[in-house]
Amino acid sequence: MNCEAIGELLPDYLQGRLNPDLAGEVEKHLSGCPVCGEEAALWKNLALLPEEQPSPALQSRFKAMLESYQEGRWEKSSLTAEKNKSSMPMLWGLGNWRQMPIAGVVWACVFLLCGFLIGRQMQRPVQTAEDPRIDALRTEVASMRQMVALSMLQQQSASQRLEGVSWSTRLQQPDPKVLDALFHTLRFDNSVDVRLASLDALSRYAGQPEVRRELVSALQEKQSPLVQIGLIDLLVDVHDRNAVPQLKRFQQDPKIDPNVRKHVDWGIDQLN
Amino acid sequence: MSDEELMAQVRSGVGEMLGVLFERYHVPLFNFYRKLTGDRGVSEDLVQEVFFRILKYRHSYRMDTSFRAWMYQIARNARLDYLRKHRSEVSWEPEMSPAMAPVDTAQQSQEAVLLHAALMRISEEKREVLVLSRFQDLKYEEIAQLLGCEVNTVKTRVHRALQELRQVFHQLESGKPQGR
Repeated sequence: MNCEAIGELLPDYLQGRLNPDLAGEVEKHLSGCPVCGEEAALWKNLALLPEEQPSPALQSRFKAMLESYQEGRWEKSSLTAEKNKSSMPMLWGLGNWRQMPIAGVVWACVFLLCGFLIGRQMQRPVQTAEDPRIDALRTEVASMRQMVALSMLQQQSASQRLEGVSWSTRLQQPDPKVLDALFHTLRFDNSVDVRLASLDALSRYAGQPEVRRELVSALQEKQSPLVQIGLIDLLVDVHDRNAVPQLKRFQQDPKIDPNVRKHVDWGIDQLN
Repeated sequence: MSDEELMAQVRSGVGEMLGVLFERYHVPLFNFYRKLTGDRGVSEDLVQEVFFRILKYRHSYRMDTSFRAWMYQIARNARLDYLRKHRSEVSWEPEMSPAMAPVDTAQQSQEAVLLHAALMRISEEKREVLVLSRFQDLKYEEIAQLLGCEVNTVKTRVHRALQELRQVFHQLESGKPQGR
């Protein structure tokens, strides 16, 4: 047998799956042919590579995940009990919010509970506003709003994503992550409604130069004409002169809608 | 209890059983990723991701199918998603870092070090098929199912992978520093 024929048999030979006759033939060839022999030897020598052990952290991360899964299920059936347990799923959600479709629900529940606690705190007459616990709760609520907004923006249904956008508007100082998620929604969401809503939400932060820069670059020929017009209006509203070069470029694009082109002309006029 | 029975329990909501599957498979999965990516940290993250997905998609597991095949399918997808997300950071990774030797280099023979370096340098596609067939003990039929190709294609790829490994190994060997 020549090398080509051996090459076809070799993989089966290496996994010990040839009948003795054929295996014998292969072996005869391997002992006489240095190239094929070396290939077979390399396969065997791969066993020299040690099996490595992961760090113990992997084990503990897994345990934490499993526990929070089990607690999460348990929590649904008895929501009001043991509020201190709720901190685990929160930590977990921080790392994995993208992958968690039920995160929105869990977050909403945790949030409700905190709202309730804050309400109770506020009603105590002699408590002063400086109470550090209230501050801590406030920060927690803010970060929860953010998480809820982020996880809702990942939902399958457009109405839930819309809700996610509206959650984001309740944040006084949005985190870069939320802004990123909103921009991602603005560019890529399947639904025009959700994209328009995210544009509306972003308009609140158009005072920030980096937000404006992103808005300018979001003006693309592939966008729906409605979003394009919304973007142009917003850029005119905030009077962003830096947008003019991009608007001019955009105006030259042969593929844009004629009505949009008229609007671009108007926008450039306004900005100049 | 077999993997499939354990997974059936996980599917019906007995989360603890995933712990048994974790004990059985976290080291092989870690080594699978370790040999594919060359990076311990990334490998651990990916193993965690696999078990997370097993839990998340437990209802999509079909009772009459092999758990291992299903798990490796998830493992592969997790890695592809990771590559997609980190494309710019990963592009330099395995092929261009010949110096990437395992941590306990000192205890290993020179040959193992070279072999590891050579494995890291062959093309991604060939490395994957080699790792699956040699280290994960998957049969060619299982690999074919996993990759969505013919069994013969897998065998051809294994052979080509060995050919390439041999060439790279020789290059490294002839260029190795003297005195060892």
